[in-house]
Amino acid sequence: MLRAGCQLLNQAAAVKTGSNNFALEFVRWRRKPRWLPVAKSKMFRVPERKKQTEEERTELMRLHNNYKTQLRSVRQYLREEVVRQQETSTADHIVLTPEQEEAEFQRCLDENAAWNAKIASERNVRLAEEREAKVAYVQERLEAAKLRSEERREKVDERIRYEIEQAKTFITRESLEVAIETALANPVDHNYAIDLEGNMYRGR
Amino acid sequence: MSLSPASGIGRFYKHSAKIIRFVRLGCANRPFYHIVVMERRKNQHQPVIEQVGSYDPMPNESNERLVALNTERIRFWLGKGAHMSEPAAELLGISGLLPVHPRTYMTAWRNRRAAAEAEAAETETSKVDTA
Repeated sequence: MLRAGCQLLNQAAAVKTGSNNFALEFVRWRRKPRWLPVAKSKMFRVPERKKQTEEERTELMRLHNNYKTQLRSVRQYLREEVVRQQETSTADHIVLTPEQEEAEFQRCLDENAAWNAKIASERNVRLAEEREAKVAYVQERLEAAKLRSEERREKVDERIRYEIEQAKTFITRESLEVAIETALANPVDHNYAIDLEGNMYRGR
Repeated sequence: MSLSPASGIGRFYKHSAKIIRFVRLGCANRPFYHIVVMERRKNQHQPVIEQVGSYDPMPNESNERLVALNTERIRFWLGKGAHMSEPAAELLGISGLLPVHPRTYMTAWRNRRAAAEAEAAETETSKVDTA
């Protein structure tokens, strides 16, 4: 038992160190560690310099100079705009007097009440409709149940009538003697044969 | 790596350098960028100060690359002295908010030259074929 446990442990260790085929292999972040030296195939590789003609360089210089000048002026404009915005904006500080604030609050409250009233009327209409539908549904189900029970009663009555009809020929305790007498007087012999035409052939 | 919300919970010092730049979201072989304002020294996947736009560099079915910019906030942050990364500056230049970046011109003329060379090579090969 102990030995088996040890074997299991060893197997687990093998999986972790990747010495068998079930080792994990990352495909997403696969990279040579930083501490490894340059690969032999890349040892004497000289990276190619990007070629840039004199003409292109001067053109880019001109464009960059223009761009920087233009961007500087745009930045200047935006800086002034931000300052202007901060001076004129009322976003961060309170400018309303208490009365104004109260009026604003009252206005909001009224609007909210109006919305609530509107929604309440809509809801009442909807609820009434739903209630009506429910009542109709229940009524219908009740009718159906009544019909069903009536049918069942009918069936049961039928059965009872049939049983009563049958009961007339039953042998009761009083009529037992008579029945025995009758049976003894009229013995029935069932030992006979019938051919295909239905003719009876009595033996004995 | 957990995602930081785009709504901007990044903490920042008042006088630290801010930058408008891209944050690469999406996944392998499917780049998608948020255009954000954040402290310049921070890693791109740190919480941002504010998201000011988004950029989908892959053309959609009608061959459009979609960009959304909150120009009001970009103006604000530029006015506050925020820097711009070069790709962000190019995008803002193309959008018309700022002057067009020189690199845009450079890419354009290099593309034009490559196209012309390809066409020349094409005509050359066709001549050889007919001859």
